Amino acid sequence: MDRALTQNPQAPTEKARWHSWIKQYPAAPIIVVLLVAFSTLSPYFLTAGNIESVLIANSVIMLGAIGMTMVFLTGGIDLSISTVISASAVIAGIVMAQTDSISLGIATALVTGLAFGALNGFLIGYCKLNPFITTMGTQLVARGIAFLLSQGIAVKGTPLGLMDFSFVVVLGLPAVSIITLVITALFIVLLGYTSWGREVLLLGSNRSAARYSGINTARTELSVYLLAGGLAGVAGLISIINLGNAIPGVGDTLLLIIIGGVVLGGTSMTGGEGSVLRTVLGVAILAILTSGLNLLGIPFYDQLIIQGVLIFVGNGLAQHLSRRR
Amino acid sequence: MSLKHRLSAVNWLPIAAATLVACILLSLLSSSFMSYTNLQSVLVQASVTAIMAIGMTFIIVTAGIDISVGAILFFTSSLFAKLMMDTGSYALAFACALLCATVLGALNGVLIIKYKITPLITTLATYTMYRGMAIHLTGAQNIPVPREMGFLGNGKLLSIPVPILLLAVVLAVGLYLFNATRFGLYARAIGNSAQSARESNLPVNKVTVFAYALGGITTGIAALILLARVGGLQSGIGIGIEFTVIAAVVLGGTKLSGGDGTIVGSVIGAIFLVLIDNGLNLMNASPYVYDIVKGSVLLIAVVIDKVSVTRQQQHLLNQRAARIRATG
Repeated sequence: MDRALTQNPQAPTEKARWHSWIKQYPAAPIIVVLLVAFSTLSPYFLTAGNIESVLIANSVIMLGAIGMTMVFLTGGIDLSISTVISASAVIAGIVMAQTDSISLGIATALVTGLAFGALNGFLIGYCKLNPFITTMGTQLVARGIAFLLSQGIAVKGTPLGLMDFSFVVVLGLPAVSIITLVITALFIVLLGYTSWGREVLLLGSNRSAARYSGINTARTELSVYLLAGGLAGVAGLISIINLGNAIPGVGDTLLLIIIGGVVLGGTSMTGGEGSVLRTVLGVAILAILTSGLNLLGIPFYDQLIIQGVLIFVGNGLAQHLSRRR
Repeated sequence: MSLKHRLSAVNWLPIAAATLVACILLSLLSSSFMSYTNLQSVLVQASVTAIMAIGMTFIIVTAGIDISVGAILFFTSSLFAKLMMDTGSYALAFACALLCATVLGALNGVLIIKYKITPLITTLATYTMYRGMAIHLTGAQNIPVPREMGFLGNGKLLSIPVPILLLAVVLAVGLYLFNATRFGLYARAIGNSAQSARESNLPVNKVTVFAYALGGITTGIAALILLARVGGLQSGIGIGIEFTVIAAVVLGGTKLSGGDGTIVGSVIGAIFLVLIDNGLNLMNASPYVYDIVKGSVLLIAVVIDKVSVTRQQQHLLNQRAARIRATG
């Protein structure tokens, strides 16, 4: 017998395993650098209070980014996530103000998000429309609905029970963050360890191969946009908990941060490559950056420049690493 | 070729027909709509979007996209207002503003071809950067521009409003570049297949950068008109305009997948969007309804386009099948 075969030259060495891990998570080294830098520069950075506020402030972004990750994995894009967050928040806010029922509000937010997701999914999956232009249309419709129903001002009359929820602490973490973490974990499992997740990845990396291997591509695509819409609905509800009121423009400015977080994490926009865990790291980069720069007193416009450069550099790094594989 | 065939080759015809229908509906709604002054004001209102849409058409035809035009618009306005305030020299301010707009546009193109990152992500990153740079420049101030500047937005030359004249000039140059130059041909070739274009030794990189630079300079011109009409720099200038511009281009009949497009269609698309505003305004609709209507129109347009393309493909397949049956 050949000795080379018995030795199994394919067995990964420690170094090779490290290399492949870095390729998987190009955001990780950036996070380490940022954490070290900010904790030395500001004594307040690693305090419990700051970490807590960062977690709460980014829960809405994280939920939107999970949806965007799934859509990116199929090779699409969903520009409507941001304004669907606003529309869900406003509609749920109005329902809760009228009925004072929290459970009805939760249901309304979910249904609103799912309805927009279903519309996107139907038009893109079954009618085979271009995702960019389709979701641009639904983005406008959702924003219009949010502003029309609220007349452009915050919806008053949030039930006290929901307001109290923002102070609930579970296992030392705010309950809102726990919900976000649980949903994130759920989607890591759904995408990484189920046949549905494999279908989504195959759909993005090779659409015709997916069709020939018997996957109902239209249905899979619909399910992705549907879930992204549902997550936007939950995000809308969480925005009410965080802010105390449903604000009609709450999600509108988040679109670029959501896409930036997903891209920084290393999920490719062309589909087939990426994961929710990568997006967690990508969102974390932007969250840490914003919090750290705020503590250092850097004005927001300079933060924008830094963010832009970072999105570009991070994406370039991820592409470079994945090409070397 | 039959008339039907020849007509279907004119890709801006659907939006022209829709615009005509909108005009008829609006003149039924209001007797003052068809007046000379009102039609003039529609064109003036559409000029900023239309000029930007002409540049964007070149970019989309190469299968690219530029999300950063709103930020370029804001940066150019900021730079112009700042230079006017500090130096008072029109020549310097105009030259710097237009040059900067072109350079920022070209920078998008350079980054896209050099680092091979998708245009959407690249211009998203530059959108954030340019906007930050603009606010950094002015320190988030609102700066008024001199009174004479209003000429560019509200003035008249030979009894035609200046924005319309500028639009006509940009349209003429755009049509020439698109239809009568090698650049226009190559841009379409790149949009059809960048790979084939590269293999046929076309100057892919040069053409791409030039297309994005055109997007930059048209945005610069639009910025100056907008600044003149608004009367000064405000912090909200340019937010969300990229989506209006892209909507105008897509409504006009240019495909986002690249390879084919129409300059005239993009201009008519921009006018059509203003007509929607105009109509809703006449009906006293809540300003918040505008977005819903525009979004729905966009969705309907894409669905109609898809149906007609599918039918055309089916028609071609049927023809081929008939030919095969005839020979066999």
